[in-house]
Amino acid sequence: MSTPEIHDVLAEVMSVKRCRGGVYRAELVAPEIAAVAKPFQFVNIKVSPGNDPFLRRPFSLSRIEPDEGIIEITWAVVGKGTGIMATWEPGREVKILGPLGNGFSLEDKGLTGGFIAPLGGKAPELILVAGGTGLAPMYPLVMSARKSGFTVSLFYGGRSLESLMDTDRFEQSGCEVHISTEDGSAGFRGVVTGLFESRLRNLSASDIVVACGPRPMLQRLKSMCGQRNIRLYVSLEERMACGVGLCKGCAVKTSGNDPGYRHVCTDGPVFLADTVELGGE
Amino acid sequence: MDLSVNLAGLTLKNPVIAASGVFGYGEEYVKVGDIRWFGAVSVKGTTLNPRAGNPPPRTCETPAGMLNSIGLENPGAKVVIEEKLPWLAQFGVPVIVNISGESYEEFRTLGSMFSESPLVSALEVNVSCPNVRAGGMAFGVDPRSCYRATYAVRRAWHGPLIVKLTPNVQDISSVARAAVEGGADAISLINTLVGLAIDIKKRKPVLGSVTGGLSGPAIKPVALRCVYEVSQAVPVPVIGMGGILDYRDALEFIMAGATAVAVGTAVLVNPSVPRSIVEGLIKYGQEEGVERISDLVGVAWR
Ligand SMILES: Cc1cc2nc3c(=O)[nH]c(=O)nc-3n(C[C@H](O)[C@H](O)[C@H](O)COP(=O)(O)OP(=O)(O)OC[C@H]3O[C@@H](n4cnc5c(N)ncnc54)[C@H](O)[C@@H]3O)c2cc1C
Ligand SMILES: Cc1cc2nc3c(=O)[nH]c(=O)nc-3n(C[C@H](O)[C@H](O)[C@H](O)COP(=O)(O)O)c2cc1C
Ligand code: FES
Repeated sequence: MSTPEIHDVLAEVMSVKRCRGGVYRAELVAPEIAAVAKPFQFVNIKVSPGNDPFLRRPFSLSRIEPDEGIIEITWAVVGKGTGIMATWEPGREVKILGPLGNGFSLEDKGLTGGFIAPLGGKAPELILVAGGTGLAPMYPLVMSARKSGFTVSLFYGGRSLESLMDTDRFEQSGCEVHISTEDGSAGFRGVVTGLFESRLRNLSASDIVVACGPRPMLQRLKSMCGQRNIRLYVSLEERMACGVGLCKGCAVKTSGNDPGYRHVCTDGPVFLADTVELGGE
Repeated sequence: MDLSVNLAGLTLKNPVIAASGVFGYGEEYVKVGDIRWFGAVSVKGTTLNPRAGNPPPRTCETPAGMLNSIGLENPGAKVVIEEKLPWLAQFGVPVIVNISGESYEEFRTLGSMFSESPLVSALEVNVSCPNVRAGGMAFGVDPRSCYRATYAVRRAWHGPLIVKLTPNVQDISSVARAAVEGGADAISLINTLVGLAIDIKKRKPVLGSVTGGLSGPAIKPVALRCVYEVSQAVPVPVIGMGGILDYRDALEFIMAGATAVAVGTAVLVNPSVPRSIVEGLIKYGQEEGVERISDLVGVAWR
């Protein structure tokens, strides 16, 4: 595996916006990171100087613009660090380390839709399943998957219409978008795995599913896809300190008889679902 | 200012050491920082057999610090000797191997295994890890068992021997004296303080193994007090650590009696911290007219 290029830079905050679904979005000027970042890579951010909060916080790249030298992150306020980030003003400089993790690229996995398609007729599909802020890292993958000839569709769910993030950019890039809400205020009434179930029946071995969201959602998908032998990749979160492999803090248990651990920051954040234990199994 | 220090016969070009557990064996660090800014590096706590580590979550931020319960995840002494140390040698920075045994016998075996490797500059006997069930801190909370663990390594290893102490004791100076009687050439301190955090939503401890070790700025005053006491209680040099973030913190430890300092948690937040400390020390030396960093060791009590 090639050594990723990691940069520790002082990035200017270009814009901060409160968006639909109650999340915040910031554009950061970080040309070194934007130039090399891949889908599903993340950055580790010192949200403010000083010791409170003390450690950096990890966030996925929700948009990568190498030509403009810009990266975007999208977050929900869940605690101190994310709360401070919501008060960032344009012009402020923050320390960011990245890009981190292996990311997920279809090319690295030897998956190039365009070349497989002519055999069977139907172009291979990339299905994205997202819950909550799990939608954030999906967009860069859509961009790269379209280039490799995959048909892409998104299954995205939340509690209610108000809790859902904007999916316009997905639709604009030709991605088929399916929505679910638990209260039925938009799209399918129920959880996103219920919505996805109908599509699962039509998937074949050349299709792949990539999911990001709460663990129970990932667990459910793992058993659903497992039963039908559909390849599922899951993007995992674990509490992190360094984000680069120094502390061994971000452990996730490997599945099967192997009693070991893998690390979200260096081995992930995306794992083939069969290789890791998601709990409840 | 001359930054070089002599540590139990080992000369370091500067007094800033990578603390064990935040540097791995260097492979990850080189992607984010330059090893050569360190005067020496202490590698991840190494055990006789490979260890997978503790169940997650393994880390949790706390006010001005963090708890960790990594549980000595490491590939075992054999892999360290055959693969990790030869790779790390290319940087020309002295390597301290941090070892942890489950019994006196194991400490002795580790001592003899590492004495076969020419790439080890010093051994650091970890009698202070709070995150393992067998061994670990158990050896460091009692002067007698600390003496025996130190002596077990001393019989097998003839190079510089450092013993790393835990602050989770009544009288740290008596444990330090026992280590010196057992053959320690230097004392390093402090390892982490045992702590706990509760997740109020889950109504359960945050960490997978319940308790963890507290590190970072939160423990600095405790660490300084330990260095101040121990450096006066023993005739050997002390390596001070615990919450060091910048050159001012490093100077406090040196003035309290530390011959060298180690940075742990700070590396996780700011990988290039050794460089900023070294540059800060040089600037301080110029401004204050200090010729040798070693002139400042223990000035707070001398
Ligand atoms: C690889 C990776 C990518 C991520 N990408 C995004 C993203 O794109 N958008 C987004 O909104 N969030 C993302 N997260 C989660 C985000 O890092 C946490 O929400 C954030 O660190 C919380 O910081 P805080 O100070 O606000 O919360 P704290 O006050 O520290 O804690 C509040 C809650 O957040 C959780 N938490 C704290 N630290 C972490 C952590 N390091 N990882 C996961 N959960 C944590 C805790 O369980 C706690 O309940 C990602 C996490 C990882 C590991
Ligand atoms: C993630 C982590 C892992 C650690 N692992 C070890 C270890 O393997 N062996 C050891 O002797 N100390 C270990 N320590 C303790 C540090 O070396 C150091 O003694 C302690 O963290 C205090 O210094 P600090 O506040 O600068 O981090 C670890 C600390 C942290 C934060
Ligand atoms: S967060 Fe430190 S090793 Fe992954």
